[in-house]
Amino acid sequence: MEIAVVGSPEFTLGFQLAGISTLFNPEDEEERIKVFRNLLNSKDVGIVVVDSTVLASLPDRLRMQLSGSVSPTVLGIGTEEDNTLRETIRRAIGVDLWK
Amino acid sequence: MALDIKPTRSELIKLKGRIKQTKNGYKLLKMKRDGLFHEFRQLLSVMIEAKKEITEAYRLAKQRIDLANAIEGGLAVRAAAIANSAHPEVEVERRNIMGVFVPSVSGTNLKSTFAERGVGFIGSSPYIDEASDTFSELIEKIVTAAEMEATLKRLLEEIEATKRRVNALEFKVIPELEEAKVFIQLRLEEMEREETFRLKRFKNK
Repeated sequence: MEIAVVGSPEFTLGFQLAGISTLFNPEDEEERIKVFRNLLNSKDVGIVVVDSTVLASLPDRLRMQLSGSVSPTVLGIGTEEDNTLRETIRRAIGVDLWK
Repeated sequence: MALDIKPTRSELIKLKGRIKQTKNGYKLLKMKRDGLFHEFRQLLSVMIEAKKEITEAYRLAKQRIDLANAIEGGLAVRAAAIANSAHPEVEVERRNIMGVFVPSVSGTNLKSTFAERGVGFIGSSPYIDEASDTFSELIEKIVTAAEMEATLKRLLEEIEATKRRVNALEFKVIPELEEAKVFIQLRLEEMEREETFRLKRFKNK
């Protein structure tokens, strides 16, 4: 399975440099949603690496879907730590265990 | 609860058996829940560390690529990126933790070798090399983190489902069965008293 990277061209460039070829550079909101929908249903993508700023800009529903998905697993990456997993844990267990 | 149970002895025996079985299942599920939770907590502390590391690694990688961009120019970096023929792939297998199937991810070909970069000795630049090295390392970290994240999510789902089942048994199923048992017992006693009373009346006549 492949690793997919979603984000701005500057974000994906580094991953391209490391050899990843499944890159998506959605420009506007609509395109972004489309890209993620496709990735969620995709069978040959194992891991999706997303710029955390892009992840934060998505509608809540889609973001929840992404954070709940196991195959592919979506990982937000950025200079700030992303809190999607933390949120999922808080919702499932009711206590914030992320300490 | 509407009691549509026949107050008979055989029903009572059946009910007692069911209560015993349910309590047994309840105990087992409770243990499963605690076990899953234990597993979860252990993995979570590792995951928190891994997340921190990824953020650090990304910062470093970002710095390196910015440097490469500044020194070699954006075009050269992009050209190097396009020339790279390495193809990192991940393999996803299934692993079993207490009846929960979790993915076990292993990466192949994560680090691109010099030959695969496809730039040659003259075209390469140390800055670009360094940038792609750090990104390769970042990808390695991402792959291990992705496995953990997926595992955690699966465990979370399972914990939630088990918790719900345990609570349903504890607060709904078992009390209802107990109630039915008490009802049958009282009813049988009542019938017995009626019977003795009836016999007494008979005798007196």
